[in-house]
Amino acid sequence: MEERGAETLRTYEQINEKIKRGEAVVMTADEFVEYTKQYGLEKAAKEVDVVTTGTFGAMCSSGVFLNFGHSEPPIKMWKCWLNDVPAYKGLAAVDAYLGATAISETRGIEYGGGHVIEDLVSGKEIELRGEGWPTDCYPRQYIETTITLDEINQAVLVNPRNAYQRYAAATNSTDRILYTYLGTLLPRYGNVMYSGSGQLSPLYKDRYFETIGIGTRIFLGGGIGYVIGEGTQHNPKAFFGTLMVRGDLKQMSPRYLRGATIHNYGVTLYVGVGIPIPIINMRVAETASTPDEEIYTEILDYGVPSRSRPVVRRVSYAELKSGKVEIEGREVVASAISSLTYAREIAEKLKQWILKGEFFLSRPAQLLPDKTEFKPLEVKRYEPRVRDVMTRSIISARPADDVKTVANLIVKHGIDHVPIVDDEGKLMGIVTSWDLAKAVAEEKRSLNEIMTRRVIVAKPDEPIDVVARRLTQYRISGMPVVDESFKVVGIITTDDIAKLIKGRSSG
Amino acid sequence: MKFKIIYSHEIVESPILSTVILETGVPINILEAKITPSQGEMIIDVPVSGEELARVLEAFRKRGIEVREVGPAIEINRDKCILCGACVSPCPTGAIKLTGDELKIEDKLCIRCRACVYACPVKALTITSEGSS
Repeated sequence: MEERGAETLRTYEQINEKIKRGEAVVMTADEFVEYTKQYGLEKAAKEVDVVTTGTFGAMCSSGVFLNFGHSEPPIKMWKCWLNDVPAYKGLAAVDAYLGATAISETRGIEYGGGHVIEDLVSGKEIELRGEGWPTDCYPRQYIETTITLDEINQAVLVNPRNAYQRYAAATNSTDRILYTYLGTLLPRYGNVMYSGSGQLSPLYKDRYFETIGIGTRIFLGGGIGYVIGEGTQHNPKAFFGTLMVRGDLKQMSPRYLRGATIHNYGVTLYVGVGIPIPIINMRVAETASTPDEEIYTEILDYGVPSRSRPVVRRVSYAELKSGKVEIEGREVVASAISSLTYAREIAEKLKQWILKGEFFLSRPAQLLPDKTEFKPLEVKRYEPRVRDVMTRSIISARPADDVKTVANLIVKHGIDHVPIVDDEGKLMGIVTSWDLAKAVAEEKRSLNEIMTRRVIVAKPDEPIDVVARRLTQYRISGMPVVDESFKVVGIITTDDIAKLIKGRSSG
Repeated sequence: MKFKIIYSHEIVESPILSTVILETGVPINILEAKITPSQGEMIIDVPVSGEELARVLEAFRKRGIEVREVGPAIEINRDKCILCGACVSPCPTGAIKLTGDELKIEDKLCIRCRACVYACPVKALTITSEGSS
C-alpha cells in the first residue's frame, strides 16, 4: 500500500501551477459528490484538482491572543476584562488570551468571549479594564480605556479544537426539557439535534489525514488561516478527528465569526472553516466523494447525564439533513445547530478564491497523527457515592395500604418518605408526609389515590455531587435508591448528605 | 385567528371568556393571560372564520371587552439569522421550517411558547408585543 499522503495523481506544485494559469478544476464537496455519482470516481479523480469543503458551527474551543500595547505609565496586568468578560492574563504584561466561552461578570451567559470576538471583528469599541501587579518597571495599578481591532498590535485567533470530522447527534428520553450544548431537547424523544456539515465536512473529506497537516492553508473566519496541528481530543481512529488552527483576526469577517448563547448552557463562538482538499491520490478522491448517505454518526440519549451516553441508534447525515429521523418506529423532527447554508457558502467562497488565483494550496510540513487515542479522565480521589450514605433500612408500604397505616409508619420511624413497592419490592410510587397531610385534609383513604407515580430516583453508584444537584433541581428532600431491576435498595435524603458534609469538615 | 382581548378594571373579575365559549360553542384556546387588579389581557386563538368569527368577536365586544387582532407572533431578524436550525426541531407544534436557505414560521400553528426565541443562539428571533398590529 502506498504511503499516506503520496502524490500519485498530482503534486501540490502542479495544482498551484494550474491555479496560477487559471486552469485549475475546482469543485465544492457537494458538486464533487454529485459529479462522482454521475461520471464515476476514475473520471472525477482524473479531472478535478481541488475539492473545497466548509463548516460553520459552534466551536467552544476557540479564542484570541491579544496584545494591547503599553500604556504610559506602563502596567503589568494580572487580571483583565474586555466588556466585563475576563481574559486569561497568565502571560506577559499586555498579552492576553480571550476564550470564547468566558462569560461576562455583569451579564452572565447573555454575553461572553464569543460576543467580544464578534464585536472586535465588527470594528466596535471594546472596554478594556485591567488590574496591575505593580513593580519598579510596571508602576501602574489600574487601567480603564477602550480598544478597537485596528488600534491593538495583534489579535490572533488560535483555536485549540475546531472542525470535528463528524459529531454525535442528541435526543432526550426523559420527561423534562434538556438544555445542552447541542440545543434544546424536547422530552420523550421529542426532537433530534445534530451538528456538522456531513459531506461538506473538511475533515471527513480527507478522512485518513493524507493532505491536511501542520501548515495547511485554510479559510478561517472569512480570512486566511493555517492548521497548526491536530486539535485537542483528536480521535482519528473513531473518525472524530479535530484541528488546531490560527489566523489573523484583522483579516476576518463578522459574517463567519459569530458570538452565540446556547440557552441555559453558555457562550460559544460560531466559526467558519473551509479547507481545500487536493486530489493527490485515489484514496483522497474516494474520501472526498463520500456522500451524506455513507457518513454515519450516532444519536445519543442526553437524558443520561454520563460520559458514556446510551446510543439510541446509528444514523446517516442524509437522514439527519432530511429533517426527519425514525426513533422507535416514530418520526422525530431533526434539525442542526450548525448552519449548512453557511457551510455551503464557505465551500463556494473558497472555490472562487482558488479559481481567481487568490488562494494557493500548501503542502503540510507534517501530516496529523492518525492513531492517537481520546482518553477519559479518571477520578482518583475518593468520592462518596450514594451507596456510602444512603439509609439501607427501608420502611415501605403497598399501594393497597390505607393512609392511616402509613401515617403511623412515618410517626413511628421519624421519616418523611415512604416508597410504595409491589410484591417483589419494585418501586411503584412514593408518599411523603406532606402527601399524607394533604390526604387527611381532602379525606382520601388509599395510597393509590395520593402517591406520586413518577418518582425521581438515585442509583447506588452515582456520586453524591450529582444526586445533590438532582434534589435541588426537582426541589425534593429525598429519593429512593433503586437497583437495575428498579428494586428499592435504600433511601437518600438531604439529611444524609448534610451529615456527610459535616463529617468531612470535622475530619 | 389570534386576538388580544383586554378586560377593563370594571369587568376584570367577570367570567366573560367562559360565557362567550358557552354562548357561541366555539372552543377558544388561551395562549397567554396577564391579569392584574386593574386590567386583564389575554391572547386567544379563535379557530373559526367568517360569520362565526364575527359572532365570537361581537360576543366579547358587547360585554365591554376590547378586541385587537394579533400580528405574527415571532419576528425574524434576517441579518442576524445564520440559518442553522436550532429553533426548528424544538418548536412543539412544527411551526418552523428551514427549507433550502429560508427560515419560515407558520403563524397559524404558533402558540407563542417562545421555545424558538430561547433556542436561537444568535438572538435573531423575538416575540412581538401582543396586539401591536
